[in-house]
Amino acid sequence: MERKDNNQAKAPQGAGEAARILTEFLEVAITCIIFLKGVYPHGAFERRRYMNVVVHRARHPQLRDYIHSSVNGLLPFIQKGLVERVVVIFFDNEDFPIERFVFKVNLNLSYGSKVEQSDLEFSLRSFLIKLPVSESLTKLLPRGCRWEITAYFRALPEASTSKDSELIWIPTDTKQWQQPPLITPIKSMNSEPLGVQLYLEHPSLSEPKP
Amino acid sequence: MSLNSSSRSATSNSNSKRSVTSNSNSNPSTSGNNSCRNNDKRNRKRKTDQNQKTLGMAWGANSRSSSRSAFRNSPFPDFGSYMVMKNQKLHQQFDADASSSSVSGACSGKPIFDGVSIFVDGYTVPSSQELKGYMLKYGGRFENYFSRHHVTHIICSNLPDSKIKNLRSFSGGLPVVKPTWVLESVAANKLLSWIPYQLDQLASETKKQPKLSAFGFKSGPVLDDLEESISGQAVPQSGIATLRTSCSLEANIFGKAECTEEVEECHSVSDDPFHPNAAESADQAPTYCMENHCEVELDAAVVVQSDAGYHSHISPCQDPKSDHNDCLEDHIIEESSSSKTIRPSTTGHSTLSDANFVENYFKFSRLHFIGTWRNRYRKRFLSSANGFKDMNPSRNAFATSQKTTIIHVDMDCFFVSVVIRKHSDLKDKPVAVCHSDNSRGTAEISSANYPARNHGVKAGMFIRDAKALCPQLVILPYNFDAYEEVADQFYDILHKHCNKVQAVSCDEAFIDVTDLRVEDPELFARAIRTEIHETTGCTASAGIAGSMLMARVATRIAKPDGLCYIPSEKVDDYLHELPVKALPGIGHVLEEKLKKKQINTCGQLRLISKESLQKDFGVKTGDMLWNFSRGIDNRLVGVFQESKSIGADVNWGVRFNDLNDMKDFLLKLCKEVSLRLQGCGLKGRTITLKIKKRRSDAGEPVKYMGCGDCENLSRSVTLPMATDDVDVFQRITAQLFGYFHIDARDIRGAGLQASKLESADRNMRGHEKYSIRSWLVSSPARKSSMAKGKGDQLYSDIGPPVQARGSFSGGEAYVAHRATLPALHDLDVGVIESLPPEVLSEINDLYAGELISFISKKKEKNAGNNVMDEEQSLSNPLVPPNKDFVHNVAEKIKSSEKEDEQYINKMIQGLPETSGSVTALLPETDSLMPSSLSQVDSSVLQQLPEELLADVLESLPAHRRPDFMSNDVYLDHIRDQTGAIDFLPSNNLWVGNPPRWVDNFRLSSCQLLNRIAVLYNKSSPRGQFSSVLQLIMSEYPLDDGGDDAVNCLCELMKQYIKLKIETDVEEIYTCSCLLRRLTSRSELFLQVYNCIIPHLQAAVGETYGGDLNICFIE
Repeated sequence: MERKDNNQAKAPQGAGEAARILTEFLEVAITCIIFLKGVYPHGAFERRRYMNVVVHRARHPQLRDYIHSSVNGLLPFIQKGLVERVVVIFFDNEDFPIERFVFKVNLNLSYGSKVEQSDLEFSLRSFLIKLPVSESLTKLLPRGCRWEITAYFRALPEASTSKDSELIWIPTDTKQWQQPPLITPIKSMNSEPLGVQLYLEHPSLSEPKP
Repeated sequence: MSLNSSSRSATSNSNSKRSVTSNSNSNPSTSGNNSCRNNDKRNRKRKTDQNQKTLGMAWGANSRSSSRSAFRNSPFPDFGSYMVMKNQKLHQQFDADASSSSVSGACSGKPIFDGVSIFVDGYTVPSSQELKGYMLKYGGRFENYFSRHHVTHIICSNLPDSKIKNLRSFSGGLPVVKPTWVLESVAANKLLSWIPYQLDQLASETKKQPKLSAFGFKSGPVLDDLEESISGQAVPQSGIATLRTSCSLEANIFGKAECTEEVEECHSVSDDPFHPNAAESADQAPTYCMENHCEVELDAAVVVQSDAGYHSHISPCQDPKSDHNDCLEDHIIEESSSSKTIRPSTTGHSTLSDANFVENYFKFSRLHFIGTWRNRYRKRFLSSANGFKDMNPSRNAFATSQKTTIIHVDMDCFFVSVVIRKHSDLKDKPVAVCHSDNSRGTAEISSANYPARNHGVKAGMFIRDAKALCPQLVILPYNFDAYEEVADQFYDILHKHCNKVQAVSCDEAFIDVTDLRVEDPELFARAIRTEIHETTGCTASAGIAGSMLMARVATRIAKPDGLCYIPSEKVDDYLHELPVKALPGIGHVLEEKLKKKQINTCGQLRLISKESLQKDFGVKTGDMLWNFSRGIDNRLVGVFQESKSIGADVNWGVRFNDLNDMKDFLLKLCKEVSLRLQGCGLKGRTITLKIKKRRSDAGEPVKYMGCGDCENLSRSVTLPMATDDVDVFQRITAQLFGYFHIDARDIRGAGLQASKLESADRNMRGHEKYSIRSWLVSSPARKSSMAKGKGDQLYSDIGPPVQARGSFSGGEAYVAHRATLPALHDLDVGVIESLPPEVLSEINDLYAGELISFISKKKEKNAGNNVMDEEQSLSNPLVPPNKDFVHNVAEKIKSSEKEDEQYINKMIQGLPETSGSVTALLPETDSLMPSSLSQVDSSVLQQLPEELLADVLESLPAHRRPDFMSNDVYLDHIRDQTGAIDFLPSNNLWVGNPPRWVDNFRLSSCQLLNRIAVLYNKSSPRGQFSSVLQLIMSEYPLDDGGDDAVNCLCELMKQYIKLKIETDVEEIYTCSCLLRRLTSRSELFLQVYNCIIPHLQAAVGETYGGDLNICFIE
């Protein structure tokens, strides 16, 4: 859908295709994180299969739509190599972040050859396998917490790249940590043209409590 | 929506072990069975009857058809259980064999038959045991008893009618395939479709009444057959054509050719024996035997055996008129002036200096001419020969009743008289034919005419000796064209007169005139002789007798230019005084043996009983001696002896500098043999490589460029399928050569031979289409894909069919591509550079090493200075671009000169794109290694599973490690130069494969570090330090290594962090966690860990803006 708008500054075919695969993957992976963290009751998800792994998919249309549209809204920026990190932030009712799942994206834009989903599938699948077993690394969330998807850009996008995506994205209200966070890597992949690293960020022990 | 679509794709792709398949309502083991062969094996053993049923469903579509099977287990419970047990045991044995053969490594191949399980029905060629061997080797299964559930293909050559009629119940709907399918799959190194190999009986069955499927399948093979028959004809023709052209070229040298261009070309490739002047101009030729340059002779031992002595007979010549020498000299001057411009650089008489050495060698070889003449003759007169072969059976009947009359016709000193037939002035002069006439006079005379023989000149004599005996001796070169012409005329005449002709050689034949009932055989023979003389201008001698033996003896007496008739009653008289040497089949060795027994003549030989002869010389030889000494010869005229082997030997002018020279030379030899085979329409199953190796104490041979005193080595291999394919030959040859472990500089001769010949027409069905060659050549798409960097994939596809050998497979592609190699400047350097190093070096080989220099030239244009160059190579994916790193490199380069050089070398050898420079360095490293482990072996090793490889490498002494680790070897080289280095802290410990540190560690004095280096080779996935650490975890006990080891490990870890932090923080994290766990085991690791952590946190902070979730340990 959004791809149609993406006429200008198109990435080479290989990177473009990799970006598309990445967004699809991110959509699944983020849904899995949400399921994992138990923000919603388990009944809100249904079992599906993606890349031959059992994953969960949101049943609620709004939830589904939020994840879908936000990730797909990133696609044009990913294709241009602007997106550095896509972060799922869990924060409490005072907007203080408790846990952050960071997808660090590294897309080689100059990669020219064709990319097939199957080429990346093996690596991406390992994320989906590793995620459910990393629950022990994560923190128990307090009641009433919320979450959001935040994207970190390498540079500010130009003003009028595409109208749709601009409408979707709003500045975040979430507060920042004062101290550098503690990082717990979960999974890394590094293949051509796509490298993705998933790690957890927790507030440093010396972080002043709100 | 993506989730939707993904779930759909997931159901379709039910091959993974993890998948919870939608059809999993049967018991779990079945679904596992469907997906995984390993599971399958296990399950099979404990499967029950009921279980089998579901299994049957799980197998491919083939097995689904019928539930009834004639091969069901026996209804008797005890026998049935017996069979179950038996099958079980057979499977176990097969599995054990398969695993043991895979361990032995070198002989196991790519598992092309994965999932294929064959059942061999009845007699097949090759036998079922051989087929089983192939199955073992290539990952398939072999069933001793038919079971519709286990077997996927039935292999048989022939089926009884009842089975054909009731095919369904016999085969259970499984494909019934000919054994060639297995063989050709092995040859093509991939699983071919069985459809073209369907049993003929079945195929013809479908032809009778075309079924729907026939339209899909059958049209293909039929077309192929057509193509084959066309190409099959084309090949031999071209073979003749090349022979002709080579001869005409040669002829042009000496007959004054009108087309000077051709002459010049000829000279540029030939050896110009007649131009002493040219020696000066050729002095620049870069050979170490330069001063001997101008001289050449050929001494080809053509494998198709021919009687080399037949031309040494005497015949007088007439009409001396003008001095031929003068005329020859004129000729020389004229030619040398005309060809001066091109000569200097291109002439060369050894494998060293002449790129087309092999071709020219055979082009100008007399023995080769004789050898190949046979094929020519066979082609030309085959029909008539066949015609009378058919009459043969009846011949035996009246052979006994009627007295046979056989005439042996032999041209008088053929090779000389043909050359001088047009020079009537030379007829009476002593003339010898020789390849070269130069001042040194070490060329050997190949044939001399009778006047020359009267002076004592003999074949095989050095020219200088001959000249000493006969100063006025005229030396002439060969004229192969004329030989061919005269030989054809000769046989035309013989065939005109008689249809029972047996060709012995190009100038010698037997004819059987018994059936013609000629009243006076002498008159008949005289007529033939006259006609030969009139037509060809050369004389022939004839011998008439009752057997081939006596006819030959008669000719001996008749020579030169005479006729001799030995009636049967006079046989004894003639034989009585005949020296034994004159009998066919008695050579030097036998003659010596007989001489020791004081036997010199046939008369003396006759005194000895058959029994004692057989006792002394063996049954056959004794029998032969006994018979021949009595003039008894039961051989029949007209049995054209088929060649038993076809090959090419080069034992002259063979000198190599290094292995690459040898490889090129072998390739040419392969081409030659392949051409010859194709020319004869034959294919060989056994390939023999013979090497002449200079004896260690032997100096340069007396004969210029000769082989001298040599050790003869030979090795052979028998293939599953006969072949005439250059690619296959090349692969096998390189492999065979690898076995010799020989220094290329010691090689003085090489020969390649194909034996166990089969007619190419047999087994042709479907072959052309599925042969490796056509598969490669006919797909330009593949080529382009290779150029796009998927070359490695291509290579793996055509991996080694017979014995595992990677670079062979490259070789296959290599040859196939060679024909259409794009021009160097058409290549996109960017593409080339991004190729994997192996592919690059392969391509570099294709371009005879020019590619690398081409690339570097291009690069020089691009990059302003050296440092820039280094930077470029650093931006290679292997080493992520890192300003720090580059900066360091630049600094390092500037710092100290000596280290600088070394450093750059190290840089280069570690980086894939410059791997060509490693190849370039090989000649040096060859001398370090015992040159035995050529690239051949290394590619085998490369294909081994990693664990296996690690073991193999461990067992290899350090200096003999194969050069797929040429880095290693090169490092060793460096080490030798610089003395043992314990550890060189530098910035590129992780560069290369295996990374440099592995070597440093291996050479270290610390045991722990040694151990780590070893573990690296065992670890998998390779290249990840975490997997090494994991292995260290399981080591016990861990000994400490002191500060030095701590420093080494710290440095290693630091560089590893630097390398991975950007892309793989997970790996870094895993490593630090493992290190942390190791700290409890060893003080050393605690030190390392605490040393690393600050560094690590800094790096993580820099890249990720946080701290890694690990902490200090007190």
